[in-house]
Amino acid sequence: MLRKLLATAALLAPVSAAAAQTGDLVQFIACPVYRDADSGKKSGCWLVDDPATGLRYDVSLSPHKPDWNFAVMVEGRVSGASPEACGGAVLDAVRTSRLYDTPCTRHMLPAEGYKGRRFVLPKRNISPTSMVQPAPEGPFAERVFPIYFEWGNDFLIYQYGDYLLEQAYHWIAAAHPAKLVVTGYAATQPQPVSGRNMAEPAELAEQRAQTIAQSLRRLLPGMPVEARVDTSGNPTNDRDADNLPAQSARRVEIRALF
Amino acid sequence: MRKKLLIATIGLLGSATLAAPAPDRWWSPGEGRVFPASLDYANAHGSLRLLLDGGAMKTKGHAFFEPLGKNGRACVTCHQPADAMSLSAATAAERWEKTGGKDPLFAAIDGSNCPALPQEKRESHSLLIERGLFRIQLPWPVRQWNGRPVTPDFTIEVLRDPNGCNSGAMHGPAAGNISVYRRARPVANMKYLLAVGFPFDPKQGVALPRDPDDGTMMSGNIMADNRAGNLRMQMEDAAHGHLEYARKLTTAQIAQIKDFEMRVFTAQQVSAKAGALDTLGAQGGPRKLQASQPGALGSIGIPVWSEFAAWEKINPEDAKTLSPEQLAFRQSVARGARVFREKMFLITDSAGINSRVGFGNPVRNSCVFCHNMSQMGNDVAPGQVDLGTTTMPFADPWRDLPLFRITCLKAPHPHYGRVILTMDPGYAMTTGRCADVGKITLQSMRGLAARAPYFSNGLAKDLRGIVDYYDRRYNIGYTEQEKQDLTNMMSAL
Ligand code: HEC
Ligand code: HEC
Repeated sequence: MLRKLLATAALLAPVSAAAAQTGDLVQFIACPVYRDADSGKKSGCWLVDDPATGLRYDVSLSPHKPDWNFAVMVEGRVSGASPEACGGAVLDAVRTSRLYDTPCTRHMLPAEGYKGRRFVLPKRNISPTSMVQPAPEGPFAERVFPIYFEWGNDFLIYQYGDYLLEQAYHWIAAAHPAKLVVTGYAATQPQPVSGRNMAEPAELAEQRAQTIAQSLRRLLPGMPVEARVDTSGNPTNDRDADNLPAQSARRVEIRALF
Repeated sequence: MRKKLLIATIGLLGSATLAAPAPDRWWSPGEGRVFPASLDYANAHGSLRLLLDGGAMKTKGHAFFEPLGKNGRACVTCHQPADAMSLSAATAAERWEKTGGKDPLFAAIDGSNCPALPQEKRESHSLLIERGLFRIQLPWPVRQWNGRPVTPDFTIEVLRDPNGCNSGAMHGPAAGNISVYRRARPVANMKYLLAVGFPFDPKQGVALPRDPDDGTMMSGNIMADNRAGNLRMQMEDAAHGHLEYARKLTTAQIAQIKDFEMRVFTAQQVSAKAGALDTLGAQGGPRKLQASQPGALGSIGIPVWSEFAAWEKINPEDAKTLSPEQLAFRQSVARGARVFREKMFLITDSAGINSRVGFGNPVRNSCVFCHNMSQMGNDVAPGQVDLGTTTMPFADPWRDLPLFRITCLKAPHPHYGRVILTMDPGYAMTTGRCADVGKITLQSMRGLAARAPYFSNGLAKDLRGIVDYYDRRYNIGYTEQEKQDLTNMMSAL
């Protein structure tokens, strides 16, 4: 308890000019630590210390959580939430991309009085096929659906990417466009993060386009799907990238053409 | 022993209806029995019931029951009703004793450790007799579920070949194949295994593939390595591989086998220690299973194993109708169901859960995280998860199984690194990805009492062995009471 108070106090004290302000965008690479908080399933905490400031962040709200054996690239917005759940300044929205080329010493902190967060279904979740969805209403015209990825891969993120893809699928199934153009993007513009120059390979744009195109062909048999590539690495300000510019650059766009 | 069991079971039945006394437990190919609408068989934990949807069926001339190929086997040889449509090691041992090893079950092709061994010797069939394992020869390099070749992102070398089926002129990677050893999976309650709950495979991060025959999405939940996407592909593989049937199954045979597979349901009906499993509000037994909608996620609907929820609080009036032992056992089963859902532990380094999907490594959850389908306990999503049952350092180092060294050519495996030692690469033999090494498709959890040993390679010799494996694998720290409750609950499924 005392320890928790101290930790909280330390977090709140204006130790340096680097202290996080609500809304600040933080981006860094470091090893994650798992805190064994227990409020039922999926309630444990993920904490990462920013090597530049020493500030401890709570990144547990990331849709794709860390692996304690590898470093993560953290990108997030400092939220106003109290650090009481896990013992770190809460980032929300937040992403944690696993960097499998950077091993970490696996470490687990005990709960130390922190409760973690009781699991609640994230707002981006897909519904069972048995549940009849209300069909989207027309009129239908050309529309673009983005899907977002973690850094360095083409994996469809559970309760994020799958949700966005399902939304696109439902709309397309109702709208009957003439064809779909799937454009893959990669964050190819080098960004300095914690002393590393982070740039995704251009091939990843192609890989992402192919992965989503394959899913679309399975979801919508008979629908013409064309895969394209854009390696410029430009960010967008689409709302489903949650106001995280780096996230927005790692995407696929599904364009429905009539 | 068997007789005693049967009598003990009948004594406990009470008001439960008993189908006509079962004839011989063993179903020989082509014997032409009628498969009744309801059929009971005693086992070490009580008795199992099979229900045939739509009523009794003649098996004379039926493609599941007739010996189609040259070795005299039928599908039923390895998918025996008394063993919950699988085959227990005890039954295999019994057949060996009874027939002096002459039963077609022991056919050299896969009912022996390797065809090149002297077939008349018991030790040449030790894996089947002691652990219920059949030899499965898989093509190398890899073929996908649709038969298309894929270029694997790993190499495979044989480190140990105790049976001779992974080396020499005919066998092993250099000869274009590898041999692994697996349990027969139960062919019952099939609508659950084929049900599609969501359009995506969250573990692979893609939409589910379509069935080439009827265009529906495929569940990805059959076979340890999902090398067959639908029942037609599975039975063609089985007819060729297990029955040594040289011809192609006809459309009529395919339809007949599928019809039977979709109609047969099974679960434990009577517990030797608790009595009938569908009394005092409980909903055990196959009737509920047959009647329910398949494919539902327990966490958002009917909780997994809530079949026994009514036994959490048995009122004093009802309690009087039970012996103290029966009452205690029922309470234990009900607690076991809660332990299964509610006792949390840290799941670590299990590909399919801790990678690539983003639950985190570790993630806190319970048995029901993976075994999440209502009524069945298999995975609603395609259930390929690496529990470590076949792969070092988590598996038991069985010296009588082959050991392979897998080297990942591109990215290392997220949990094992670049080099992996495994006795069965599992799903990787279908996808060609080193990230899938050791993943085995979750099975049905019904009728467990009738089909020991457990896990794809028979690693757990009894139900308690399953709990002990998990306790060790994930450092769970179950109390002795929790272990017993889980074991008792599983004996009632
Ligand atoms: C020699 C024993 C043997 C024979 C004969 C046999 N099987 Fe099997 N069966 C197995 C084994 C072993 C597996 C598991 C294989 C694996 O997971 O790789 C299996 C798995 C299956 C499965 C998948 C069940 C699941 O839940 O994954 C089905 C369906 C099946 N068999 C049907 C058949 C049919 C139909 C026939 C006859 C054409 C047949 N089997 C003949 C041993 C046999
Ligand atoms: C991380 C996912 C996961 C969790 C958690 C999990 N299982 Fe499993 N379970 C599997 C997989 C994968 C298999 C198939 C492995 C094999 O056959 O080698 C399996 C198989 C089984 C089987 C089937 C055995 C058979 O041969 O038919 C039983 C019974 C079982 N598990 C019980 C449990 C119990 C009890 C718990 C909780 C202590 C549990 N499982 C937790 C993934 C999981």
